[in-house]
Amino acid sequence: MYYNNKKLALSIFWVILGAALLGLSAAGVLDSNAYGGMGGALMAVGALQIARNLKYRNDPAYREKIDTEANDERNRFLRMKSWAWAGYTVVLVEGIGSIVAMAMGERTVQLVLAYSVCLLIAAYWIAYLILSRKY
Amino acid sequence: MKNRIEEIRNAKGIRQEELAKKLGVSRQTISSLENGRYNPSILLAHKIAALFGMTIEEVFIFEEE
Repeated sequence: MYYNNKKLALSIFWVILGAALLGLSAAGVLDSNAYGGMGGALMAVGALQIARNLKYRNDPAYREKIDTEANDERNRFLRMKSWAWAGYTVVLVEGIGSIVAMAMGERTVQLVLAYSVCLLIAAYWIAYLILSRKY
Repeated sequence: MKNRIEEIRNAKGIRQEELAKKLGVSRQTISSLENGRYNPSILLAHKIAALFGMTIEEVFIFEEE
């Protein structure tokens, strides 16, 4: 069962949080327009998820389609592979970006990118250690 | 790894959609399996063989790389 009550509650939470951010931004409590935009986006995502959740509950054909897609092993494999590729890309781009930033004398940017690469590599090794104990 | 899924499926007169539904996978997965682009897990290979009433070795042809 892909969509459940927990996911519905989370979607409702996103809508409430989004509405709160939007309201506080409109009232001038939060000074940045970014909060309003973030609130609107959260509300839209939450509403979309609620609509999908309700369709999942009421439409057996849609439910079967979603469940098959979620449990399909090739889909799971593709999702894992995509995350791996995304991770490699981020490490490469940040690594190159760090070197470029160093050459341009942008010390802060270079440090942020370099630490970000270190964090990703550390996260990879921690995940590897945890998973190697599990499997 | 090669397989005889398409050949056996056609011999039994089953469409890709029907096979996918019986196995609980997507039609694209069946297509990828038949084209040899995707190798199934041992669990799915067992399911496929069982559905055809055959052994895994009769459906999948293991080859040394």
